[in-house]
Amino acid sequence: MSISLAEPQAIGLLSAMSDAELDTLPFGVVAMSSDGVVVAYNRAESDLSRLTSARVVGRHFFRDVAPCTNNFMIARRFETEAELDATLDYVFTLRMAPTPVRLRMLRSATAPLMYLLVERRRPGGS
Amino acid sequence: MEAEPDALEAMTDFLYIIPVGLIQFRMDGAILLANPLAVQLLLPLIPNNDFTDAFSALAPLVPDLARRVQAFIPTAGLVLDHLRCDAGTSAEPRTLSLTVHRTHGGLNLAVLEDVTRLAGQERQLEADRLRFRAIFEHVRDYAIFTVDVQGRIDGWNPSLRRFGGWSAADVVGKPFDLFFPPEHHHPAELNELLSLTTRIGSAEIEGWRFREDGTVFWANSVVTALPDSDGAVRGFVVVSRDMTVRKRMEEDLRRLATTDPLTGAFNRRSGLARLTEALLPGAASPAVIMLDVDHFKSINDKHGHAMGDLVLCSIVVACRLLLGEGVPVVRWGGEEFLFILPGTGIEAARATGERIRTTLAATPVEAASGEIRVTVSLGLAMAMPGEAPEALINRADAALYVAKRGGRNRVELAPEA
Repeated sequence: MSISLAEPQAIGLLSAMSDAELDTLPFGVVAMSSDGVVVAYNRAESDLSRLTSARVVGRHFFRDVAPCTNNFMIARRFETEAELDATLDYVFTLRMAPTPVRLRMLRSATAPLMYLLVERRRPGGS
Repeated sequence: MEAEPDALEAMTDFLYIIPVGLIQFRMDGAILLANPLAVQLLLPLIPNNDFTDAFSALAPLVPDLARRVQAFIPTAGLVLDHLRCDAGTSAEPRTLSLTVHRTHGGLNLAVLEDVTRLAGQERQLEADRLRFRAIFEHVRDYAIFTVDVQGRIDGWNPSLRRFGGWSAADVVGKPFDLFFPPEHHHPAELNELLSLTTRIGSAEIEGWRFREDGTVFWANSVVTALPDSDGAVRGFVVVSRDMTVRKRMEEDLRRLATTDPLTGAFNRRSGLARLTEALLPGAASPAVIMLDVDHFKSINDKHGHAMGDLVLCSIVVACRLLLGEGVPVVRWGGEEFLFILPGTGIEAARATGERIRTTLAATPVEAASGEIRVTVSLGLAMAMPGEAPEALINRADAALYVAKRGGRNRVELAPEA
């Protein structure tokens, strides 16, 4: 089963997926507990960041893995919005090279985990 | 050459979590490398999320960064050194510090630090500094200064000039007991005060203090220990207030309460208190003399009450000159005066009585209508061990009565009871 970054039912579908199924997705997925600790880190995200799932799982994502997200545009929204589904063009410094990315932030009272979805975008494009 | 995958991942991980922002860029502003913290700090400030050009990415902090980078000629060195920038968004107000290094090959390295908390602390310190300076410079009638652990004044401020006319050269580095007039001051007083303050945190003293011109004023001083972060005392702050006006009022009140308004002699109540004190066990037995002006009623009748008052005042002045401060002169009532002679023997007491009698007899009172000669009669009683003040005074009174009956202008000694 393959879904896109813009999939309307994304949070429900992701919640039902195993780690192996997450690894088949074409975009990066970071699944976090409600306090920001990484629970799952899929293959596409590992390929982007060059950090393995084993290194990242169990760490605080915004503070200890991807400090570039630790501001009001991303981390504060996950912390303060109980229902969150927003898409944002952003820049990751993957291996220190500024890389334009499209992010989707997902959090819902009905799902146990919150998700950050990551996909490269063409600079200036959509 | 490929690094070990684990080592490469560890290095990547390490670079991701460096807690300062780093951006490497070319002379034309093109960003080559950046770390996550740079993005975290800058992206909220950039309108279109374009992180390809360092000059536009850093423009919210330094609008003319391109000009400043291109005007910097050396091939290596500091283009900007810890430039403080207010990079506030309304959501997250921040203060950032930006340093730009010129490195090799026409490359620049921007280093960004989030100094929001430090800047907040500095603003607080600056606000406190201004507040304290305002206090130092504008308080009236107070001096506020700090001293080191030995009590040496470690800084001058304008309150010291207003307070006592002191300049920095007069006082800085000197122990603050230089304000204490030596005749009112024990050399160990300063050390005792500081060790007391160290033990209990704060102490208060009052006393006469010097102004720079050598005049004195009465000061109340509160000394408070200044602890350092370990809790050890590293100095003291002294807040001194000029209380001269209050001190003079207190002295006036005390004088009004203890003296006779006409003559300035002690009044009966304070005379009795002094006599009670002199009769306490342990002190040498005092003697008392009760004095009565001979024919005082006829002086009043003949010359008027104003003249009678003048006679009483003249007696007090003459007796004070004769006896000195050690012998309190008490107006016991009407034209009766009491003298308390400290622990002298009977012969000395009798001689004192005689000197009072002869001196007053030989000193005419000057009046508009001419001179009046006045004589006095005196009764002397030597205090016996354990004798009550009233009993002693009664015996002196009885001796005075004998002197009057014996023809006046004489001293009579009371027999022991």
